[in-house]
Amino acid sequence: MKALTANRLTDGEVVFWKQGQWLDRFADAELFDDEAVAEAAEAHAKTQVTLLVEPYLIDVAEVEGGVAPVSYRERLRALGPTNKPEHGKQAQGGAQIEILAHAHGAASSKGRIDLIKRK
Amino acid sequence: MPKLIRWRGDRAEAVEDPFTSIDDDQVIPQGDVIISLRRFQSEGAFLLGQCRQVGVRLAADETPEALDADLARIAVVALVFPKFRDGRAFSAASILRDRLGYQGEVRAVGDVLLEQAKFMVRCGFDSFEPADGATPGQWTAAAHRFRHVYQRAADGLEPVFVERATGHETPG
Amino acid sequence: MYRYDDIDQAMLTDRAAEFREQCRRRLAGEITEDQFKPIRLMNGLYLQLHAYMLRIAIPYGALNSAKLRKLAWVASTYDRGYGHFTTRTNLQLHWIKLKDAPDILDALAGVGLHAIQTSGNCIRNLTADPHAGATADEADDPRVWAEAIRQWSTFHPEFSFLPRKFKIAVTGATRDRAAIRIYDIGLRLHRAADGELAFEVLAGGGLGRIPFLGPTIRERLPARHLLSYLQAILRVYNRLGRRDNIWKARIKVLVATLGAEEFARQVDEEWEASDKAAVDLPDTELARIRAGFAPVGFETLPPVSAAFETAKLDDRAFARFARHNITAHKQPGYALIDVSLKAIGETPGDCSAEQMEVIANLAERYSLDEARVTYEQNLILPHVKLDDAPAVYRLLADADLATPNIGLISDIIACPGLDYCALANARAIPIAQDIARRFESPELAEKIGELKIKISGCINACGHHHVGHIGILGVDKKGEEFYQLTLGGSGEDDASIGQSLGPALPAERVAPAIDQLVEVYLRERTTGERFIDTYRRAGLAPFKEAVYAEAH
Repeated sequence: MKALTANRLTDGEVVFWKQGQWLDRFADAELFDDEAVAEAAEAHAKTQVTLLVEPYLIDVAEVEGGVAPVSYRERLRALGPTNKPEHGKQAQGGAQIEILAHAHGAASSKGRIDLIKRK
Repeated sequence: MPKLIRWRGDRAEAVEDPFTSIDDDQVIPQGDVIISLRRFQSEGAFLLGQCRQVGVRLAADETPEALDADLARIAVVALVFPKFRDGRAFSAASILRDRLGYQGEVRAVGDVLLEQAKFMVRCGFDSFEPADGATPGQWTAAAHRFRHVYQRAADGLEPVFVERATGHETPG
Repeated sequence: MYRYDDIDQAMLTDRAAEFREQCRRRLAGEITEDQFKPIRLMNGLYLQLHAYMLRIAIPYGALNSAKLRKLAWVASTYDRGYGHFTTRTNLQLHWIKLKDAPDILDALAGVGLHAIQTSGNCIRNLTADPHAGATADEADDPRVWAEAIRQWSTFHPEFSFLPRKFKIAVTGATRDRAAIRIYDIGLRLHRAADGELAFEVLAGGGLGRIPFLGPTIRERLPARHLLSYLQAILRVYNRLGRRDNIWKARIKVLVATLGAEEFARQVDEEWEASDKAAVDLPDTELARIRAGFAPVGFETLPPVSAAFETAKLDDRAFARFARHNITAHKQPGYALIDVSLKAIGETPGDCSAEQMEVIANLAERYSLDEARVTYEQNLILPHVKLDDAPAVYRLLADADLATPNIGLISDIIACPGLDYCALANARAIPIAQDIARRFESPELAEKIGELKIKISGCINACGHHHVGHIGILGVDKKGEEFYQLTLGGSGEDDASIGQSLGPALPAERVAPAIDQLVEVYLRERTTGERFIDTYRRAGLAPFKEAVYAEAH
């Protein structure tokens, strides 16, 4: 399973794709079973240059109680910093936040890992 | 002929480029040409003997000191920015102007972007082939964004410590 | 402290206006993210995990009440009411919106603050001895020279696109409180036998993937030639530094490849060929800058304060605070007071807007309107009368800023790590919190004595882990957070790079491992030995055995 994420240009907020819209909560993210559909959405997102910074697909997997991003980094993006539980998306609480907070057993991190590489 | 941005006095203007930049595997045509350092070293004397202007293109890892003996006869030194982040040409231009006293045209070629206009002008570049399509108007504005400079450079602007000593007012 | 004149101020205003225009062009789609990214980075604006982060420069760590109040205002108006002081003595705000950034820069410019050159491959914000102007072991005030370098390096046309970032640290003291051996250039002022003021120049230090301690490339550079000599170093580096591999692009690799002697020779050759007089500041300008740092307002006081001595006798907590957070001043009757940003269980280096206000008030009322940032992520009130120390302590304590732990085990350096940083591989903050809680008892911390723990969430080493007595490096092992421990590093006069203890540990094993290391130390130490001394004498083996024994 995949989800499509990015940071919003104007404020850097983490956003998730849902049928052409960009929403703040991972709970609202559209989950793609079909790789080709996911890639088509990503290709469209890459044209939205005044709306987004660096849209990319993330891996999502079933975990206890629901679904969560596979990588630890992506779960943090969907939650907020662990040293300030009152900040970030986690502050709203809710079932999906609980699922994300308790997910574990990550596979390889994917995401914005090549930021300082050049070229 | 392609357009070129020339820096004249304190502003940029569009001019026709009389030079043709020639790759090493190209036959040298008639007219004014810019060639690589390697080619200049083998064919430069011959070309300079003809009635035409010759410019030399220095790659980022080539040093202007290599041209020292011939500089007076070279019309253009074109310094290559392979990527805009590669700032070696800023040192090369500074050395050409400040140390070698080069009076000819110093041209910025390659990944040349508007955001670097003020640095390039300050280091003594006086012609530009912008890769981002920047216009002379934009180039002039970008080069004048700051009213003061903290250090001496090839542009000869008075640095702040001289301004302070002479008690000049801050304009604007 | 030095006040920006109309010209310095105009530079900031022009820069803010330039960035406003650049932001407008980005938001309007006139430039792409690829083109905009280096521009925003050169204004200290990063895109992190949850939002933009603004890194505000605090040149040579010097603050006053006006700057602190403005930082507090920005933090509460545009961010979430706090900021994070870093090992580079910058302040990072983690929840910034791009659309607010131009307004923030305008506001900062009003008090002489900015985010110029806090990122990018240029000469970065200067750091200096936080005890500058207050310590007796000083040949000259390093801030004078740091300010000269700040001006010279600001928008330097030749050195704004170097192979990689470039950091300079300056001290004027015998004791190194500025970590000059881990800097691209480290500068130490000293007075030569004939009275001439000179710099010892170190080049090619740095942490990151391949750590190096900077060798001395010139023992005695006449101080007046500082800028021309720096130009020579930078020019050699700009021309010869590697640009094909980001991990080998720092000057440390060039110096190590050429050898310090050959590098120094090339710098000398360049320096001798240059027009020094065109670069070096005239004496009049140096004198002008120096006047900005002239001490003002010290009173003539007896060296011993009865109020201070009595307070120590009456209040054990204050006595403890005095032992760890108060340092002798060169001026009789004054002291430097360390403000700990390492309250137990809190985020190292974090400071709330309310705390900034408290420190601003204290600086204004009790410290000749000065405060300093240290690379160990604490603040200092540098000029407090001993008579006032008990009152300052109480006001700090009320704001949770008086943890008596400077230089002790809970005074941990930690970068923001994966909780915020897009480059991180693992979190650093929760590890620091775990360790601090485990050693919460001030009695225990005092018994252990000086022990410097430094944590980085990735190999870029913002948390200086290589030079921690105990260094902790977060790594990503198949998507999970693991931590590599090193022992025996130091960033001070006895500088050294730490040695790896063994295989990386999972997060929950780190604090217990620190416990085991401390147990070994307490068992093995001889009188007067610090943790690092015992390690240097006894070697890695007993420590390794204690942590990995159960794995046998």
